This record gives sequence, C-alpha cells and structure tokens, in this order.
Amino acid sequence: MEININGLMKDYGERTVLNIESLLFESNKLYGIIGPNGAGKSTLLRIISGLEQSTKGEILYNGCVLNKPILKHITFMSQRHYLLKTTVFNNIAYPLTLRKYHKKIIENMVDEIMMDLQLFELKDQLAISLSGGEAQKVALARALIFEPQLLLLDEPTANIDPNSIKLIEKLILKRNKEKKGTTLMITHNMEQARRLCDEVVFIENGKLKVQGKEKQVLV
Amino acid sequence: MGYIMEGVKEAFNLLLSLDREIYSIILLSIFVSFTSTIISAVIGTPIGLFLALKKFKLKKMVTRLLYTFMSLPPVVVGLFVAIIISRRGPLGHLGLLFTPSAMIIAQTLLITPIIMGITFNNAKEQGQEIRQICMTLGGNRWDTLILLIKEMRISILIAIVTGFGRAISEVGAVMLVGGNILGHTRVMTTFIAMNNSMGNYSMSIAMGTVLLVISFIVNSILYKYVVGD
Repeated sequence: MEININGLMKDYGERTVLNIESLLFESNKLYGIIGPNGAGKSTLLRIISGLEQSTKGEILYNGCVLNKPILKHITFMSQRHYLLKTTVFNNIAYPLTLRKYHKKIIENMVDEIMMDLQLFELKDQLAISLSGGEAQKVALARALIFEPQLLLLDEPTANIDPNSIKLIEKLILKRNKEKKGTTLMITHNMEQARRLCDEVVFIENGKLKVQGKEKQVLV
Repeated sequence: MGYIMEGVKEAFNLLLSLDREIYSIILLSIFVSFTSTIISAVIGTPIGLFLALKKFKLKKMVTRLLYTFMSLPPVVVGLFVAIIISRRGPLGHLGLLFTPSAMIIAQTLLITPIIMGITFNNAKEQGQEIRQICMTLGGNRWDTLILLIKEMRISILIAIVTGFGRAISEVGAVMLVGGNILGHTRVMTTFIAMNNSMGNYSMSIAMGTVLLVISFIVNSILYKYVVGD
C-alpha cells in the first residue's frame, strides 16, 4: 500500500506536535522512522492508522482517503499492546476470527506463526501470564497473521532479549519480502534500522528532516 | 449482651421453623431487587460504555451529573417516585403506589446510576485500549461492543453485584413507595426497620442474618467467577 502525506498537521491545544509538508511511503518497502523522544513519530503512526485525526492535511492510501475497507488492511502495534484475557492461541487467532476464516485454516495459520516466533509451547497459556517479551511476540503475531497491506510498528523490539529480537526481525523481513506489504517501523536502534529498512525517515520536533536510503540518513 | 445472644438464638429458630410469612418476605425482597438489578444492568451497562468511549460536548457535565446520581439519597428517590405515581401524580392512573412494581421502579432509579457509573469508570481506563485493538485488527462497531463486554465482563459483573447489594439493602425508597404492607410489599429491610422500632430484636436479627447470608452467597459466586477467570 502506498501512503502519500500532504500538509499534515497535528495540534494539541496550542502546541503543534506534527507538521509534515510532504512524505511518500512507497508500496512494499520497509521504512524505519527514527528521531528523538517526543518528535511526533508515534503521533504520525496513530494518524496513519486512523486512531487519531489530524488537525490539517490529507493522507492518501493507494490514492484514496481512509475508509472502512482500507482500514481492514491496516494494523498498528503500539508500544502498550493490549492482550485479550484469553489464551495465546485465541489472541493470535482473533483477527482471523473477525474475518470469519474457517476453523481449520485459522489453526494452521496460527500454528505456523507460533512456530516462527517460538511460541508454540505457550499455545494454551493465558496471555495474562506471559512475560513482557513473550507478550510482545504474541502482539506481533496477532498483527501479522492477517497479512495486512500496511503494518505500523511502534518499537516492536523494545525491552526484549536478543534472541527474541532476532526472531521478530526475521519475521518482519520475511513478511515484507514474501507477502508484499508496506511496513513503517519506529525504532531507536540504528543498527536495527540498518539491518531491516529499505529507507529511513528522520523526524525531529514534528518535522521531517531527512528521508532516504539508510546509508545516506544514518551516516 | 444477653438479649443479643437470645436474639441470635431466636433468629435461627425462626429461620429453621420455615415460617411462611418470613419466607414470603425474603422471596419478595429477592424478586424486587433482582428484577430492578436486571433492568438497571440492561440500561446502565451500554450507556456507561457509551459515555466512556464517546467524545461529545457536555461530557464533563454529564459525568458530574452521573456521579451525583450515584449517591442519590434513597428517600429522595422514594419521594420522587411516590409523587409521580400517587393518585394525583402524572402516572397516578396506573395505580402503582404501594405495589411491588413501584418498589422495582424506585430501586431501578436508584441503582441504574451506580451500575452506569462503575461501568463508566472502568471503561474509561480499559475501554479505549480494547476499542483500539479491535479497530486496528479490522473489527467494526459491533465487534468492538462484543469485545468490550467480553473483556470487561468482570468489571461489569462487579458493577451489577454492587447494584444488587444496594438494592437489597435499601430501605428508605421501598418504605415510601411500597408502604411495608404485610403479604404485599413488606421486604426484609422494611421488616427489620419495623421490628426494631417495636423492640422485636430477635426478628430483626433473624432477617439481618438472612440479608448477610444472601450477600455472602452472591459475593461467593462472584469470587468464584473472578478466580476461575
């Protein structure tokens, strides 16, 4: 999914937290969004996901404004992910249940992604009993399972162990290359941006400073 | 101290004697409180969720009013309902005064804001997160409502049980609109108040014990559900 942003502004009271004149995210690419805390990165993703309204400007998704059918193809994994009060399996299966997939297909798809993220042993465990890292992996699996055309990730590997980071990165890359979806990922980890991203966008004080290949931006 | 122990002893004798009058009072109390709780839950839960999740003008004012109504004095509610349904009142032609229906109306008015307020408070904190999850995973409004009720079932249940507790222990409103008529509108709380004023402590203690037992049973069921969850 291609995202075209024009004249986007977001104000909280008198304070402008986001002011982006023009920004294009091309289809099927993986973008890293970097910048200091409070730069407006999360606000940008929340507006793109439809969770927040902008004060001004427009965002076009494959040339169209946001509507219900487009929303079905977008997902956003926030820093504070909420897991449902049920088992790990049911959490991951939830987006497929919403889309009324057949039970057998749901089982196969959930099993496959649980294998990829080494979550299979936790299948029947209640999500509430998971550690922080495990919960993060479940939230990511839930976001990826329905193969969204636009995946928005807000620090998906923050506060988790190196082994889990490897698994998550591998899955994000696999999904990006195989399933052909656009991914926007906020990260504070420059090495991670180098490893994963096709392009990097640097935002500071709500404004776009640089956009380009990771080598150009991260020099 | 002796008369209290004597009262407790008499209370158990009374309960074990299967006195018809006592049991009809208990059953009427449960019926009135249970019915008003169900009506209040059906009205209060969705409105509480709506208030918590929707942004609209005057939301702060509505919230303040809701909190005020949560602590409505039962006697005021009783008086209001009595005026409305008394013979000269706007609904006087329905002949509801001094009937169990009038008691149900009064209790419903009293506990709906309580259920609504508790649901509102819990949904205000948890509801936005649940709504966002449902929205970002492709759910529509209907899916969101179902998920909200599922995820908040314990909070909603606690709100309903709190409402039931308030209803079954309430005396002022049911006394005013029901009239404490033997075999018709006499409930446990009005029975206790009446016997206490007459000095029949054993009867009051017996009924007080039943109230406690009912409260214990309801809370035990809730506890089992919460722990089981």
